[in-house]
Amino acid sequence: MIRGPWLAALLVATVAATGSAQQHDTTMPPGMPMRSDTTPKRTPPKPMDMPGMSAGAMTMPIPMPKGMVMMPGLVGLAPPGGTFLPGAGVDPATVPSVRPSSVVRLKDGDTLDLSATLVRRTIAGRPYVMYGFNGEVPGPLIRVPQNATITVRFHNRIDLPSAVHWHGVRLDNRYDGAVGVTQQPVAPGDSFVYHVHFPDAGIYWYHPHVREDIEQALGLFGNMIVDSPDSAYYSPANREQVLVFDDLLVNADTLIPYGKKGPDFALMGRVGNVLLVNGEPHYALSAHQGEVVRFYLTNAASSRTYNISFGGAPMKVLASDVSRFEHEERVPSVVLAPAERYIVEARFDKPGRYAIVNAVQAINHFRGEFDAEVDTLGMVTVDSSPAAPDYAGPFDALRDNAAVTRDIDRYRPYFDKPPDKRLTLTMRGNGLPIATVQFMNVDTAYYAPVEWVDGMPDMNWLSTSDQVKWILRDDATGKEDMDIDWHVTQGSVVKLELYNDPKSFHPMQHPIHLHGQRMLVVSRNGVRTTNLVWKDTILVPVGSTVDVLIDASNPGDWMLHCHIAEHLGSGMMTVLHVDPAGGGAR
Amino acid sequence: MMPRLGSAALALALLVAPAPAAGPFDIPLFATPKAPAAKGSARLVFAESPFGVAVTADGHMRYDVQITAANLPAPSSLGAYRAYVAWAVSSDLAHWQRLGAVTNGVSTVGHIERDKFLLVITAESDSAAAAHVGPSVLHGNSPSSWLQTFLAHSAFFHGVTD
Repeated sequence: MIRGPWLAALLVATVAATGSAQQHDTTMPPGMPMRSDTTPKRTPPKPMDMPGMSAGAMTMPIPMPKGMVMMPGLVGLAPPGGTFLPGAGVDPATVPSVRPSSVVRLKDGDTLDLSATLVRRTIAGRPYVMYGFNGEVPGPLIRVPQNATITVRFHNRIDLPSAVHWHGVRLDNRYDGAVGVTQQPVAPGDSFVYHVHFPDAGIYWYHPHVREDIEQALGLFGNMIVDSPDSAYYSPANREQVLVFDDLLVNADTLIPYGKKGPDFALMGRVGNVLLVNGEPHYALSAHQGEVVRFYLTNAASSRTYNISFGGAPMKVLASDVSRFEHEERVPSVVLAPAERYIVEARFDKPGRYAIVNAVQAINHFRGEFDAEVDTLGMVTVDSSPAAPDYAGPFDALRDNAAVTRDIDRYRPYFDKPPDKRLTLTMRGNGLPIATVQFMNVDTAYYAPVEWVDGMPDMNWLSTSDQVKWILRDDATGKEDMDIDWHVTQGSVVKLELYNDPKSFHPMQHPIHLHGQRMLVVSRNGVRTTNLVWKDTILVPVGSTVDVLIDASNPGDWMLHCHIAEHLGSGMMTVLHVDPAGGGAR
Repeated sequence: MMPRLGSAALALALLVAPAPAAGPFDIPLFATPKAPAAKGSARLVFAESPFGVAVTADGHMRYDVQITAANLPAPSSLGAYRAYVAWAVSSDLAHWQRLGAVTNGVSTVGHIERDKFLLVITAESDSAAAAHVGPSVLHGNSPSSWLQTFLAHSAFFHGVTD
C-alpha cells in the first residue's frame, strides 16, 4: 500500500516520468515537486483590426463555440508543461484499426486477458491514433453472473503507465486499481493480475486510474453487466443496448494535445466537440414498432454532464450505479454525470426515426444568456412490423422493488443523524493568465448549478494542474485532499455531507465517486430523497449540500474523488480508510 | 407545503436575521412603491428527480419555488384585490407563468422551468388568476440575471498587460 501527500504529484507526473520520454525531453520522476515555472508562455500577439479582434487574424489553437472568438488577452498563450499525444514515432498505418466492442460472457472462475493497446480510429472521416482494450472501443463488454469472481490478466501495451479500476464494484481492495493507493502503476510492457468479485447486479465499467484525462479520454473504457439470478430482476424488454457516452476535442485534423506534465483544461475539464456513443459519432439502432429497449447508459466523458432523451419516446428509469431504484419512475430525460450509470427502458410505439439527443441550456458567456444546445448522438429507426412479444403492459406499469426498499430500511434509522464528516468542495488558482483572472472575477457573479458545456474553452485550455488546485476540504480539521486521514470501522454507517462552495474562484459541479462501497443520497439541500438507489458516484451541483450515507462494509483504503478527470488530476481526491471490524488484518 | 409562520414573527425574523447568502438558488425580493414595507425572498428548490438535478428534456432546470414574505398589506388596501399571486416572467417580459398564491409567511409555489427569469408578485382579484392585472408589490431576478455581457470587457477589447 502506498500512502502519502505526494499522490497527486505522482499521478500528474506519470506521463513525464515514463511514457512520453521518447517524445519530449523533459522528464520528472514520480513524487518530485511540481515545476515552479507555471507562467503561460507568451508569443507575440497577432494584430487585431476591430474593436477587439478579427477572428480570421488570430491563431485559434482550440475550437471555440459557435459565434465566439478567443479572448485577445489569451491569444498567443499556450499551457505550460508540454504536450502529449499517443503513439509518438509510430507510423499510424502500422497501428491496427479499432474494432467494435465484443461481448465476453464469463462465469465464476474464468480468466480474461485484457490488453491496453494503441488503435487507429477513424472518426468523422479523420484518422487518429488512440487507445483501446483488446483493440476495441469500448473495451469488451464483460458479462458475468452476480457473485462471480473472475481473473483478469491486464497487459499494458501502451506508451503510458496504466492500471484498471473496476468502477462501482465492491471488490477486494487489493484489486481496486487505484494507482498510488492500492497498487503501483503498471509500466508499459508490464502486467498485473486482478481478481474481481461482483456482489451486486447492474451495470459497471472499467477504466484506468492513471491520467484518466488521457487514457480514458482516448478510449480505455468498457462495461461489465452483472446479471441477477432473478430473470425478472428488471421489467421485461425486447432487447438490450449498452450505450457509452464520451466526447473528443479535435481541431481541424488533429486531436487537441494533452498536457504532458499534468492535465490541462484543469478549470472545468476537457469538454469535447465531437460527441460519441460507443466510440462512434453516429450510433444507429433498428427496432420494431412497440419495442421496449432496455438501455444501459454510462458516461465515460472526462467532464461533460449529459441530458439524454430518445426522440420523445416514453422512458422509465429502473436502476443506477449499484442497485435498482425503490420505485421505477417515468422520466423525460436522463441526467448523466461523469461516471454515473443509469438503466432505463424506452418504448418506441410508432414507426419512424427517434433521435437520441443531448439537450442542454448552455451559457453564452459573451452575451450573458442561455442558449439551447441540442446534439444528435444517434438514431433509432423503428419499422412497422410489430414487436414480439408485446411488452406494452409491463412497460406502462411502474414497479416497486420491495427488495431494494427492505435493504434500505436497515439504514433509515441513520438518515437523520448529524453528519459524521463534512467536505467542502472548492478550488484555488495560482499563476493563471491575468485575462482569465479578470474575466472570472466578474463572470462568477453567477454560477450555474451545472455547467453543461465549456463556454470558454480558451481559458479552460490554458489552465493546468500546476495552476489549479481542486480541493476536498475536511471542515473539521481544515485538511485538504490527500492530507485528510479519515478512518471508519467496517460495518459502520457514515453520514457524509458534501457542500459545493459557490464562492470559489470557479464554482462547478462535481461527480463525487467513492471506490469499493455503496452510498445513498438521503437529501439534497435539506430536501429528503423519496426514491432511493445505491450509488457510487454522486453529482453535487454548485451551491448544493448533499447528505450521503456510506455503507462502509468493505475494508480497505478507498479513494474518494471527483470524477472529472482533470479535477482528479488537479488533486481533488482523498482516501477513506475502512478499518476491519475487530481490528483484524485486511 | 412548508408550515406558515405568523406574519409578525416572520417580519421580526426578516428584520433581525442576516441577509441570506446569495447563491444559485436564492432570490432577494424588493418592494415596489405600492407596498414599501413588504419584504421577501425566494428560494429555488430542485424539483423531485431520480437524478442529481431536475431538468426538462430540453435542459431547463426544474425548480419548485419557496417564497417567504412579510409585511404584505391586505390586498384590498391596494384596490379591488383579494390575493397575491407569484409569476415567473421571461426576461423580455413576453411570457408570464403563473406560479401560485402567496401570503405572508412561507409559500411553496411552482414548478418553474426557466433558467433566467423575473419573479413578480402582484395583487389580483382572485388567487387563481390566470393573467396578471394588478399592481406588483415584490419583484426580483433569478440568480442567473447576474450573467453579464462581456463583449466590452477590457480583456476582450484591449488584451491585458502583464
